[in-house]
Amino acid sequence: MIKVLFFGPVADRVGLRQIEVPFRDGLCWQDVRDVLQPQYPEAFALVSVTAVNGERVRDDGHTPLADGAEIVFMSRVSGG
Amino acid sequence: MSDAVRLQLEDFSQDEEVRALRASSQRMGGIAIFLGCARDFSEGRDVCEIGFDAYRPMALAELERLRAEAIERFSLLDARIVHRLGTVRAGDNIVFIAAGAEHRAPALEACRWMIDELKERVPIWKKEITPTGESWVTPHP
Repeated sequence: MIKVLFFGPVADRVGLRQIEVPFRDGLCWQDVRDVLQPQYPEAFALVSVTAVNGERVRDDGHTPLADGAEIVFMSRVSGG
Repeated sequence: MSDAVRLQLEDFSQDEEVRALRASSQRMGGIAIFLGCARDFSEGRDVCEIGFDAYRPMALAELERLRAEAIERFSLLDARIVHRLGTVRAGDNIVFIAAGAEHRAPALEACRWMIDELKERVPIWKKEITPTGESWVTPHP
């Protein structure tokens, strides 16, 4: 399974803090976004950063994920 | 001694943080501090409390990285960053940043750099709680 986490304003708009997506070989984070974005368009309108396994992604979203990977779709941060 | 970088629910003591920073080196000639506090008024509304949400493992790792980068970039002798999570009341402390260097200029520059970078990079989100409702804060300079 792929664990998808939401925080802050994105979590509020999704109405959940965590979703699990079935894993399949070759699955990429962009595939996961393509599945979830139509279900939660208002939440994904805020998303500007994606993290995989705690690291900000800088690829085009087509690097295959490992089973058990953790993805976070984040809005702009506002700490401090 | 407490860790130099922490995320915590409870308040922190500025005196203890400065004492810990000073204990790391007697070559420190300048210490700059930034203390972020919860305002009771924002965007034309009274604010009672501020709530913080965080992707905690990544936020802590990013703060550690930020501290290491600041030490390298500004030749600091030491630096400390403490950020509170959970809910804080108006007037409470939110974030403490301290930079210690041989001279004042790099300490001051590093302190400013760390809070600016924190606000851009660290996955923490702030929600203002007012008498009439709650709203997530939109980042601004």
